[in-house]
Amino acid sequence: MSNSANTPLERASRLLDLVPYLSTHQGVELSKLAQVFHISSSQLVADLTTLWMCGLPGYTPLELMELSFDSGFVTIHNAQTLARPRTLNDEESIALLLGLDLVIAALPDDREDLKVQARELVQRLSARSGFPGKLSAASTASNSVEVIVEDAMRANKDLEISYHSLYSDTLTTRVISPIDLKSENGFQYLSAHCDNAKAVRVFRLDRIVSAQIQPGRAGARAVISERESNKISFEIAVHSRVRASLERFSLPPSVVSAPLHSESFSPEWIIRSVFASSGSVELLSPPDMRQRIATSAQSLLQLYESS
Amino acid sequence: MSRKIERLINLTIALLATKRFLTKSEIFNALEGYEGSAQTKERMFERDKDDLRNLGIDIEVGSFDPLFDDEAGYRIRPQSYALDLGEITGQQIALLSLAAQAWSGAALDDAAARALNKLRSLGVDSDLDSIPAITARLTTTHPDFHSITTAISLREEISFSYRSPELDLIPRQIQPYAVATRNSFWYVSGHDLTRDQIRTFRLDRIDGEITRGKESKSFEIPVGFNVFQNSDDEFKSYSATIDIRKGKAQILRAKSSSSIDMGEWDRISYNYFDSQQMIDLILWHGQDAILREPQSLKNQLIETLHEIVRIHV
Repeated sequence: MSNSANTPLERASRLLDLVPYLSTHQGVELSKLAQVFHISSSQLVADLTTLWMCGLPGYTPLELMELSFDSGFVTIHNAQTLARPRTLNDEESIALLLGLDLVIAALPDDREDLKVQARELVQRLSARSGFPGKLSAASTASNSVEVIVEDAMRANKDLEISYHSLYSDTLTTRVISPIDLKSENGFQYLSAHCDNAKAVRVFRLDRIVSAQIQPGRAGARAVISERESNKISFEIAVHSRVRASLERFSLPPSVVSAPLHSESFSPEWIIRSVFASSGSVELLSPPDMRQRIATSAQSLLQLYESS
Repeated sequence: MSRKIERLINLTIALLATKRFLTKSEIFNALEGYEGSAQTKERMFERDKDDLRNLGIDIEVGSFDPLFDDEAGYRIRPQSYALDLGEITGQQIALLSLAAQAWSGAALDDAAARALNKLRSLGVDSDLDSIPAITARLTTTHPDFHSITTAISLREEISFSYRSPELDLIPRQIQPYAVATRNSFWYVSGHDLTRDQIRTFRLDRIDGEITRGKESKSFEIPVGFNVFQNSDDEFKSYSATIDIRKGKAQILRAKSSSSIDMGEWDRISYNYFDSQQMIDLILWHGQDAILREPQSLKNQLIETLHEIVRIHV
């Protein structure tokens, strides 16, 4: 992992960060320290050897930092001047601010206490870094799993979920491509293509502990299982609102003069997406679904015109 | 190479430890590593100073006595050098650690890892057990995400091609103020120099590379800037009355401003911004969402349904 992080400037930066870490982690294992700083052990030894030569002017043993690491455990003394961690630079502040925002969104609704603390940290960080507090904003809507799942289905996106499996009583993280949401016996079930299992699985919604939409395109990763899955091929024609229509169907920006071909796990999704395109997209095939759209739109019209 | 690194560290230590400004000649006399002719030393020192500044270390320039035109001196204030987050608890450290770990494998991974090490160095133990298991992972889709955050931190302009609603590529030049994520999309917001307006752009609609301007510190970011100000602005929005079937249409339900129980249906009020988007969203829900008010929107929706029938029959 000791890739390119070895220009003199990057090394100097790392040395300055090593000192405060060592000051609060006296006796840390050499190999663990290398891991923490994402470098090889030999690179770390080179870093520590350089650090050994540093200290206050005078450079007698009295002024130099005192390091010991030949036992495999690292200790540091006489390093008070550099003992406090350096302030965060802009990029580090941005990373934490955006990350905190996501953490706030991912925390369960009944942990308002933690959300308050995290928001307070956002304020502190943005006050100190001079970055706007509202650097990012995760969805302001409710973060209930149901809403996230429906949102993912609508946008044809994958989800990363933490799922509590009752049989093994374990919490697993999986990436799934949602297909369909159904209610049965008072529970809601989500059928989805599971990336871990490489097959379609059914998840009980109340056992999904948390869910998060992934920006990747649904179905893109599911190619492996195409043989066993029942993916539906369909064709559309885009008549207007080109960008919006292509994005809705997760199609790459391209010429739309010819019919566009795509596939999906869910007939429901195809029909809803055509409806939500408000007439700018026409479903050419399969014919039975085309028929279903016409019938369904007619019955909706009757509903509106009779009321 | 390691001599250069030693010199940078020693210079940092010397400038941090001093209470008064150190002059260049004092630095050259006391510090190891400044060797050669006066000119060479001078050049070395200038370069070292720039390097430390590039690491984000603030070197203060001043003189001993403001009344006399003394030789300039240098120092680093411990307050500006060291991380100061005030009183911080183990739980807060844990929250910040989760924030940093959210970048795992994504664009700001390295910066987040460095930040995490600085936080760990504060010597406060992270109290992760007090926080429920959550999945918080940031994923970025644009390969040039890094250019945007760098441009924001250096206050540089950026330019790129942006896909218009009809897929034409339009060149854009903006002063970037902020990046943000919402509903799994990433946005960059800032002052659009061509239109002289604040605009927000979706990163996945940017085509090709993002070019950073040559000049840094070319603008200021307004205090309290909010990326989603316009879309959050309730005063500018209209309200629709929609009947939604019980147990369905969670997206509409979650954002509704009020809800009346009507048995099999709930009647909700929903604030919207763009009538086309509102119609798209209602139609997505098929037979589970029926628009009641306003009449003008209802007419538009009925027209849309006629169009859907026309092209599919």
